[in-house]
Amino acid sequence: MLSTEFKSVGDASWRKDGIAKVTGSEKYAPDVSVDRMWFGRVLRSPHAHARIKSVDTSAAEALGAVCLTFADVPQTRYNERIVSTPPCLYRDRTVVADKARHVGEALVGVAAPTEELAEKALRAIKIEYEVLQVITTMEQARKDGAEPIHDTVLLDGKDKPIVNNVAVQRTIDVGDVEKGFAEAEYVIERSFKTSRIYHAQMEPKSVVCRPEIDGGITVWASTQSIHNTRILLGQIYDIPLSKVNVKKVMLGGSFGSSIQMNSVTPICVGLALKAGHPVKIATTREEDMHDHVRYPSEIKLKLGMKKDGTLIAGEMHANIDVGAHNIQAFPFLGGLGGFWASLYKLPNMKYVGTAVYTNKTPSCAMQGFGAPQAHFAVECLMDEIAHELGADPIDFKLNQYVGLGGTFWGQGPASKCIIRSDGVPELLKTGAELIGWDKRPKPGSQTGRMRKGIGMARGFHTSGVGHAKASGAEMIDYSGAIVKLNEDGTVDLIQSLMDHGGGTNHAISKIVAEELGVPTHMVGLSPCDTRTSLYDVTTHATRGIYAGGAAALKAAKEVKAQIIDWAARVLDVLPESLVIEPDEDLGQGVIYCPNLAERRMTVGELARYLHLNSLGTISSSQSMRQVNCPPAYVSYFVEVEVDTDTGQIHTRRAALGSDCGTVVNPALASGQLIGGLSKGQGYALTEDNQWDPETGELVSKGFWVDGKTPSMSESPKVGDIDTHFAHTYEPTGPFGAKGLGEAAKNPAAAAFGNAVYNALGIRFYEIPITPEKVLAALAAEKSTKSRQAAPKAPAPVAE
Amino acid sequence: MYMNTNTRIIAPEFDFAQPKSLDEGFALMDEHGADARLIAGGTDLLVQMKMERISPAWVISLARIDELRAITAGKGLSLGAMASIKEVSVAAPVKAGYAALAEACNAYSTVSIMLMGTIGGNICNASPAADTAPALLAFDAVAVVKSARGSRRVAMADFFAGPGKSALKPGEILTAIELPEPAAGSGSAFLKISRVVADISQVCVGVSLVRDGDRITDCRIALGSVAPTPIRIAGAEAALGGQKGGDAVFDKAAEIAARDIKPISDARASESYRRHAARIIVRDALKTAWQRAAEGAAK
Amino acid sequence: MKKYTVRLTLNGTPREYSVGANELLLNVIREQEKLTGTKYGCGIGECGACTVHVNGKPTLSCLELAVSADGADVVTIEGLARGGELDPLQKSFLDNNAVQCGYCTPGMIMVGRNLLDENPNPTEDEVRTHMRGQLCRCTGYASITKAVMGAGSAGAFRMPAE
Repeated sequence: MLSTEFKSVGDASWRKDGIAKVTGSEKYAPDVSVDRMWFGRVLRSPHAHARIKSVDTSAAEALGAVCLTFADVPQTRYNERIVSTPPCLYRDRTVVADKARHVGEALVGVAAPTEELAEKALRAIKIEYEVLQVITTMEQARKDGAEPIHDTVLLDGKDKPIVNNVAVQRTIDVGDVEKGFAEAEYVIERSFKTSRIYHAQMEPKSVVCRPEIDGGITVWASTQSIHNTRILLGQIYDIPLSKVNVKKVMLGGSFGSSIQMNSVTPICVGLALKAGHPVKIATTREEDMHDHVRYPSEIKLKLGMKKDGTLIAGEMHANIDVGAHNIQAFPFLGGLGGFWASLYKLPNMKYVGTAVYTNKTPSCAMQGFGAPQAHFAVECLMDEIAHELGADPIDFKLNQYVGLGGTFWGQGPASKCIIRSDGVPELLKTGAELIGWDKRPKPGSQTGRMRKGIGMARGFHTSGVGHAKASGAEMIDYSGAIVKLNEDGTVDLIQSLMDHGGGTNHAISKIVAEELGVPTHMVGLSPCDTRTSLYDVTTHATRGIYAGGAAALKAAKEVKAQIIDWAARVLDVLPESLVIEPDEDLGQGVIYCPNLAERRMTVGELARYLHLNSLGTISSSQSMRQVNCPPAYVSYFVEVEVDTDTGQIHTRRAALGSDCGTVVNPALASGQLIGGLSKGQGYALTEDNQWDPETGELVSKGFWVDGKTPSMSESPKVGDIDTHFAHTYEPTGPFGAKGLGEAAKNPAAAAFGNAVYNALGIRFYEIPITPEKVLAALAAEKSTKSRQAAPKAPAPVAE
Repeated sequence: MYMNTNTRIIAPEFDFAQPKSLDEGFALMDEHGADARLIAGGTDLLVQMKMERISPAWVISLARIDELRAITAGKGLSLGAMASIKEVSVAAPVKAGYAALAEACNAYSTVSIMLMGTIGGNICNASPAADTAPALLAFDAVAVVKSARGSRRVAMADFFAGPGKSALKPGEILTAIELPEPAAGSGSAFLKISRVVADISQVCVGVSLVRDGDRITDCRIALGSVAPTPIRIAGAEAALGGQKGGDAVFDKAAEIAARDIKPISDARASESYRRHAARIIVRDALKTAWQRAAEGAAK
Repeated sequence: MKKYTVRLTLNGTPREYSVGANELLLNVIREQEKLTGTKYGCGIGECGACTVHVNGKPTLSCLELAVSADGADVVTIEGLARGGELDPLQKSFLDNNAVQCGYCTPGMIMVGRNLLDENPNPTEDEVRTHMRGQLCRCTGYASITKAVMGAGSAGAFRMPAE
């Protein structure tokens, strides 16, 4: 909702970190340096699967370097992402490994006074490997007799054996799926495949650790949660948390790749503790590319329906390749299934999700978690069914989507809530008008070289993983905030919640300003660290504004109550009679009594009064969990142009709609949608990380030459992208706001798939839809057409 | 194999010299022999060094030899080896008479690389994918090569010896690239297919032809990223020589080109895609060049 | 290994360094000068985050030897705002919300500034062509395109005193 009834929320102020960012003075983890700092490097495995027989660091040490080997680190296994609770946390890694499970696995840390010397020392280390069978596909991994990548993992304090390299399996059953399919009049089944793309965040992961004289450490790291980084480092190195301080520094993009503590962080700490020097590790791009990728998936989706298309049964089998370490397969599989369950009403469903280890870079969350994968399968298949039934995909979906009053599964079976705000009909209507939906071509009707097509997909992301359970939750989800009134009437907001760049912290400062009734510019974002801030789980699951903003609002409400209380005493009126409003001319919040106009003072005057009379600081420190996880709906309409000679697909136009409730940062929200389109376009059309199937090596060797992300040249022109927002108000969100970030990308690949279908009359079930695949499909269609008189694709199988 | 490279720095150490004249450069080259590599814009050499594919003991920069920068038009065109790709792309005589070369320069991955990279560097790296190479081959350019022992001229068609290997002998420096004056009725075009715009080509083509009425009197077709070196396709050229211009002969030439190239499959494209795309862009480039030849004649 | 003396002008101030031949301009700027606005992104000239101006031209400082910059006039993102006033392009980036995580922003602005120096009122196509080498993963580029096109009318902004 774009609201005019608010003062700060929805305003067009410059983001608070803007000047620092355009002048180059903003600090990211790679920019941090401290006195006496050494430089660290990480020796990574050239083998995808090998036992380490021996490590000889003597030559490196002779050069003056300090080395950190498996023998130097705690050997208890941990999981680097501690968002899940212990029964859901699969622990399979150590700070450095005693067995290489993927090319690029960290084996030895090295630190020396300069980067050049650290580099020389790294090259002087000798490792003897016993090379093992390399497993690069899920199929290979699950074969009987395949070399086990992990024998066991640690789960809730117990060793859990790993069989056939299956990391986790999850099933969800709703209703009676067999009965459902038995009653179905039509059944359709398709297999989808999504790729293993690289986050391509601009900032390679970096960390600085300074050992402190009291035995503690101070850490500056690329992370989406300074508190989880702190807890993990405290656990791994057995340091009380009061002596572990993780500082908040700006993130240079992340997109999910630092929900977990990145591999270099504990290595840097280990080196710093051993060397007795501050150590910095700033990874190379090639190391970063060997450190994280998106979960790829193979999804088999079967839907059963009545003659009119009403869905009555669904069955999904999703296989995901977790790579060498299981960072978060359990919640991921829950999320994928939950997102599927929340897209369309399905009285009977069965879901089987299987996560498999391979000797490749560990997979992790990336914008959307399991949602882009689920959306690609479901939104493409729903489009296909609508076409088969001769229905308009918009109407077909509107008739069956899970909306107002329905149940939304926020990232899996453990987080469910009733849907209280729903802008889907408005989004689809507006998007259809903006793109010219009714003027789209008939699929397969074009014959020229260049063919245009319009595709639509819809969906959502969750807003946080809030839930109502008092205990037994799968995930931790709460935020904290400290709000205090300064002596001149300005306000400090102290919050550990990380901003990925979308403007979350700026938005939350507006929420605080709105509640307090002061102008936006009066609320400052404080630098903070884990010692001076309250816990925040992590900026993931599109929870920043909805969950983090709600915590800050809770603190602001308390501060406001104190302001009113004090002002009532000073102005000698009843507290209930006072209001606070921003006065842009004064640049201050003004406290006044509407019934007695002369009883007024600015917030600054009150603050000064309290200070000069030693009456104390008005402040509040609040922590809270959202008990809901409302869907942040989104709609995608894209127009592509396919060059049938080269197979290239160009993105020509887009109309992107968001139902994020109240829009707190309108221009940045629009920018998030367009950013989602860009990443979605890359996911759908071009990006792919290629692995050598024999060696398990990245074909690019980690150099940023392949897996091309879109540039300005591949993007639609400015005037050809429309963004729009639904007029909704989420009653459980701060000032009616819910999430946006990850939703901005989730349906993208499906929209592209459907647009290509509209242009060519050919369905693609695998992304990226590369020029080679387009040409192959066109050639196959041509030969089919020349063989068959009837060109119509077979209708859904009747059962 | 993953080598623990570090692109944050250049790990191997080396010495550096920046001669101010060619003679000084020759002396340095003779002194250090095979241990030395010349650096022009550095956009390729330093990448190779960071990827640890090469590790020279000496790096000798040509940046301070002013005489290597000049672009001079006379009967033909002489491009100083150290002229930047950007300078070549905007030079008036290039735009006026050598459209394919201007297009090849503008297809160079990014503007910063165009400003830093040089035409000589692009050729001497002898990458099969060098964007300017097919254009220079299509114009029958000649490399002017000098050393302390004298100078020689190498036809562009003889300049590329293999991936990363040029015809330069130890101690030699490429000083200029000369392009003959285009004949009356000439037209040229360059086309490139890549995964994204700012990328190395999957396949690229430069064509230059001479049109006399409705006949093609002369034609050169060169492709990049389709063989160990940038190559001309004699068979396709022969199919056009003396023929009436038009879609049918252009299609025929394109088919021959697609047949005669020797592409490989790599991360950028498969062999079959390269053949397919080569056919498309050879055809399209010929059409454009043919059209331009008519427009040139009409002026 | 031998050290080389490099004298250059950095953001208007003459500077002198003693460097190895293998040292990159990027690391002299970041490590010696602690001017960290110029970023390492890919190390091989594919992303543009390390762009500075050398003698007025955008240069990838991750592919520029410090010794090669001897005698040059080098300007980094920190040198663009002069006399406490933002460059109009910097202001336009803020007006157009062209900044998200901000990691690509310095390089974007350096290349955009170069385009505007050559062509104060670029068309959208000119912006797209000129800036194709600057990768951004957050914005999808529309706001950045608008910021460059709108810089001519962005006006002045005086920064709060430091």
